[in-house]
Amino acid sequence: MSSGLPSSDPIVEVINVSKEFRRDQNSIPVLNNVNLQLFRGDYLSLMGPSGSGKTTLLNLLAGLDRPTSGKVLVCGEDLGVLSEGALAKWRSRHVGFIFQLYNLIPVLTAFENVELPLTLTSLSRKERKEHVTTALEVVGLADRMDHFPRQLSGGQEQRVAIARAIVTDPTLLVADEPTGDLDAKSAGEILDLMQRLNSDFQKTIVMVTHDPNAAARAKRTVHLEKGVLVAEPTSVSHSK
Amino acid sequence: MIPVRYNVRNLRVRWMTTLMTVIGTALVVAASVLTLSLIAGIDHALRISGHELDLIALRKGSTDEISSGLEQKVAREVSSLPGIARDAAGQPLCSVEFVTILTKPRRNNQGTTNIIVRGLEPVGRSLRPDFKITEGRDLNPGLNEAITSRQMAERFENLRLGEKLEINKRDFTVVGYFEASGSSAESEVWTDLKDVTLARATPEVATTVNLRAQDMDARKTLIDALENDKRFLMSAVTEIDYFKEQLSASYALWVIGIIIASFLIVGASFAASNTMFAAVASRSREIGTLRALGFDRRAILISFLLESVILCSLGGVLGCICVLPFSGFSTGTANWQQFSEITFSARLSPLVLSAGILLAVGMGLFGGLLPAIRAVGMNIITALRER
Repeated sequence: MSSGLPSSDPIVEVINVSKEFRRDQNSIPVLNNVNLQLFRGDYLSLMGPSGSGKTTLLNLLAGLDRPTSGKVLVCGEDLGVLSEGALAKWRSRHVGFIFQLYNLIPVLTAFENVELPLTLTSLSRKERKEHVTTALEVVGLADRMDHFPRQLSGGQEQRVAIARAIVTDPTLLVADEPTGDLDAKSAGEILDLMQRLNSDFQKTIVMVTHDPNAAARAKRTVHLEKGVLVAEPTSVSHSK
Repeated sequence: MIPVRYNVRNLRVRWMTTLMTVIGTALVVAASVLTLSLIAGIDHALRISGHELDLIALRKGSTDEISSGLEQKVAREVSSLPGIARDAAGQPLCSVEFVTILTKPRRNNQGTTNIIVRGLEPVGRSLRPDFKITEGRDLNPGLNEAITSRQMAERFENLRLGEKLEINKRDFTVVGYFEASGSSAESEVWTDLKDVTLARATPEVATTVNLRAQDMDARKTLIDALENDKRFLMSAVTEIDYFKEQLSASYALWVIGIIIASFLIVGASFAASNTMFAAVASRSREIGTLRALGFDRRAILISFLLESVILCSLGGVLGCICVLPFSGFSTGTANWQQFSEITFSARLSPLVLSAGILLAVGMGLFGGLLPAIRAVGMNIITALRER
């Protein structure tokens, strides 16, 4: 599981990014001139009060939205110039999503949920099976692959979601409040797992969280206040 | 492409709404297939009746057998014309016939209608497709006997084996049932030419000469001779053209059937659309997730259209199964050319059943299109926020 990029080059660059939403005739600024770099193996937590623009920034990094001005470059590719179809393809190759509510497809088994992103690749059925089994083994749920989401606990569902996020070996894992819907024990297990993905598999992770304990698991934390990046600890620790 | 099992399982999860929509679609498909099978039945009855080498000669100016009238003596001379095909015994395939209509009661007190009684000689049987007696026996001339088809016997009073049909106060005993490949002959009662003309008190009259030409060239020569030879001065048309005229009965049925089916189909499509709109609304977050994972708009569109098509196709299959017991069910419709009734059977051919399935697929596509477009038009971020 590696992106194969030289660790000295940033894999994500956010350059002077601003984002505004329009409501009726009004323009609502959400992000204001944000600059950020992520390197391979980074584990960044985004914190800030509600409405500060954390999720908006995460969506921009994940190619779900486009900036009003500025650039988001991932592996040197400017996401702002990609067509919607190209962006969808790009997401399938480069981004793994971990959602607060897991967002598993209820009618598909754990195996089928994890397999879903692989159906967009040219892998054979046999190869897909191998990848899915490996991903489920990494999250410790190989024995639950035939279970439907309703047959799993919240923590197990989130682990299946993580398996789905890593199964394509994406460049970037984005997590939006991944422990927000879990009890403390399950939340701890999920954070352990994400930390292991970062340390053992060098996965680059960006996590939005309100929880200081969760943020503490990241290698670095940035704060957003009213759309402005207000503080980045000097103890930046990434595998440069 | 999003796996099909995603759609199939979603249909199963919402089994109650799925079942309701399937039943609704099935009813519409069943009604449409039944209509189509009846249209196919009447179409078959009239098309099979026409042989390309067969001619029908009527009185000059007549367009149908009922309004025609010929002298039997003159009509018999037609058989001496060159170019007429002959049977194995060397007899010319030329049949002098007398057609009359009688008003007779339908079974089960369903009112009265006109039936065609045809008087003919044995040679006339060779001019009908695959004529065969299926029950009882063929009639004997001079004994006031009659034969008819089983469908006619079941639709009209006094036509079952052993029953007596009254023609001008003379009783004709039904002694047999025949088949003729589902052709219009099966809508008639046959008796002997002499017996029926005597009963009608018109012993020297015929209405029709049916004949078969040796080949296409002979057919043209025969038409010329019948129309222009001063001995005859008849109207001669090919059987195919003659029955084409009578197909107007099936066109009327076709138009009415299509109008009714169209209303039903539009209604069923809206039902499917409603079901799919509900599906899209309840799965917004799933749609957002699929888009986030990299499935593009086209994949979403195809997936929801496919789900709608599967839904309606299930109804289509069920509808076709429901009408299978009606295969062979016989009924009748007015033949306005002869002011009588054509009896025909529902023909549930593979083509008709395929049309039913195709109709269901069409309903699925039509009904699923707007919901699928709504699914495709969703903003990913908004969709992901749905609970």
